[in-house]
Amino acid sequence: MEPVRHYADQEINQEPNTGANLQKTPKNKKRRSWGPGLLLLLPILLFIFGFFIVPMLYILYLSFITTDEIGGTTAAYSLKNYAQFFTDSYYLSSLWLTVKISLYTVILSLLLAYPVALTMAKSSPRVRGYIALLIASPLLVSIVVRNFGWYLLLLPNGTINQTLMSLGIINAPLKLLFSELGVVIGLSNAYLPFMILAIATSLYNIDPSLEKASAILGASPLRSFFSITLPLSLPGIVSGCVLVFSLSMSAYVTPALMGGANVPMMPVVAYDQINNLLRWTFGSAISYVLLATTLITVIVFTRTFERGKFKEVFR
Amino acid sequence: MQAIKNDVEIKGAFKQYGSNIVLNGINLGVKQGELLTLLGPSGCGKTTTLNLIAGFLEADEGDVYIKGKKVTKVPPFKRDLGMVFQTYSLFPHMTVYENLSFGLKLRKVAKPEQKKKIDRALELVKMSGLENRYPRELSGGQRQRVAISRALVVEPELLLLDEPLSNLDAKLRHELRAEIKRLQKEIGVTTIFVTHDQEEALSISDRVVVMNAGKIEQISSPTSIYNHPDTEFVFQFIGKSNSFEGKITSVDSRKISVQMENEITHVDVGNIMGTDRACKVGDEVKLYIRPEKICIAAAAENVSGLSLDLHKASITQLNYLGTSWEVAVSLLGKPLQILTPDFDSSWQAGSEVYVGWSPSDIMLIKK
Repeated sequence: MEPVRHYADQEINQEPNTGANLQKTPKNKKRRSWGPGLLLLLPILLFIFGFFIVPMLYILYLSFITTDEIGGTTAAYSLKNYAQFFTDSYYLSSLWLTVKISLYTVILSLLLAYPVALTMAKSSPRVRGYIALLIASPLLVSIVVRNFGWYLLLLPNGTINQTLMSLGIINAPLKLLFSELGVVIGLSNAYLPFMILAIATSLYNIDPSLEKASAILGASPLRSFFSITLPLSLPGIVSGCVLVFSLSMSAYVTPALMGGANVPMMPVVAYDQINNLLRWTFGSAISYVLLATTLITVIVFTRTFERGKFKEVFR
Repeated sequence: MQAIKNDVEIKGAFKQYGSNIVLNGINLGVKQGELLTLLGPSGCGKTTTLNLIAGFLEADEGDVYIKGKKVTKVPPFKRDLGMVFQTYSLFPHMTVYENLSFGLKLRKVAKPEQKKKIDRALELVKMSGLENRYPRELSGGQRQRVAISRALVVEPELLLLDEPLSNLDAKLRHELRAEIKRLQKEIGVTTIFVTHDQEEALSISDRVVVMNAGKIEQISSPTSIYNHPDTEFVFQFIGKSNSFEGKITSVDSRKISVQMENEITHVDVGNIMGTDRACKVGDEVKLYIRPEKICIAAAAENVSGLSLDLHKASITQLNYLGTSWEVAVSLLGKPLQILTPDFDSSWQAGSEVYVGWSPSDIMLIKK
């Protein structure tokens, strides 16, 4: 037994895990000069700093500032804005609504996207290109225009309700527009391409001979799918879900147009505070609660998978 | 009285992609317990033939039988085979143990029995103790060992190997090649091995099937494939070759005399290749000989063997290969490659030497 093990261990060194090994031997590496690379990155770094980091920091600062009666700010730092948010059931239910609608959107788009991604992965590169074009084409239409397109379909006397009623499936029109369902439909439609492309990318990376190996070992196509293809596409599923979730959490146009006052999602509420009520400080706090919720959810979600049963897939 | 029963039988397989014919009437029988190699250049149809047996492809025409049962339309997961792929194809999200238990679970083998079988299969490929490693944590050679034991653990009807050594370095390739041969004999499983490497095919197989352009050129033992190829293609594909052109001057019951320029050489009548083997005086022919079948000596009387035809030649280049010398000579103005362990230290480019060969080592084909 012992010599066998020894032999096997000896062999492993022949194909080292490159990433880990490179880090272990920094002495052998020549010192790389950062000069020219940094110079090329400078414009984008300045851009991001000036137009993203600075405003974000400013909003963070605002969220800790209090407002006096006439809307002016005082220089006193406090947690008043956050306290107001977490003690008012209206804002808490808005947060919950935002999370709920985003989760529904993730689930709906995942269910719709996976079959498409699978079809793409199984197609020839040419067909794959056509499908990708089709998937990406809605992105060419402004989201505002698209939402008004949905109005025609979803209004009480719109196409969907009229068809369902004339078929006798329903008696009264369904409340599709200005409802949570309407927002979920709109958001799923808008973010479906991201989900499809994320999943398709991870499906392309699966060695097609794995499915063959599974079949030869006696697994039916369905069994192969659940034992091999689905677990190996988890990285794509996770990144697609993260993308769609973050985008849905921060979506403004679709909730505003498809949900209206009936579906007060966080971005809509924050917009209202800042633009209509001019309460910059409270609006900033809402934004940061939304940001924190999104980040925490995404991190917990990703970690769960990276440490779960299929952690090896994420290496 | 039936001879040894064939484990695999392919009858009249024909396969076409658009206008590209990949299999052009393949008839093949694989005997029980043998290691048969499908050898040929890429695009010759060897992998297609293997996929036909595995069930990944269905031929446009023709049938496949495994152990006497017609399986032409049976999907791969119902064929009960073992297969090893070029890319190892271990399931990356499963440990070595889980990879091996995959097929056993599908066969509803009880857990304790699974463990026994897996232990034995891993021991067979010297991989005991690595059950809990993930494929990522194994070297290429180790991965292929696990892949082989995964294919064998289910005790398949057939073992199919699709270029299993192509992704390994030369040393490992030699090592695993010998191991596959040993394992195959030990277990006795009928094995079909696909490769484009002729040395690999010759060393490992009981029989070699040489394929070219969707057709089988020859099915024989490795020695007769090498020494007595049926066709020009087989001669050129397997090993190195020299060729000359000439004209038949006489034919008797044992030998054919061929004139090349003003020299005469003799060929055994059994050494004719190709489909048309009726030779007569005046036929234009092509002669083939392997570099190591040519003798070379400084003087005519030093060439060993009495039945050799001797020709005068001059050395153009000398290359030392370690185990032998590669000598390029010019014979009748044409280049000739010779591989020889005997070497005269006085030789250099320009030296005049005698070269010769036995009539049994030279092959002839009509033009």
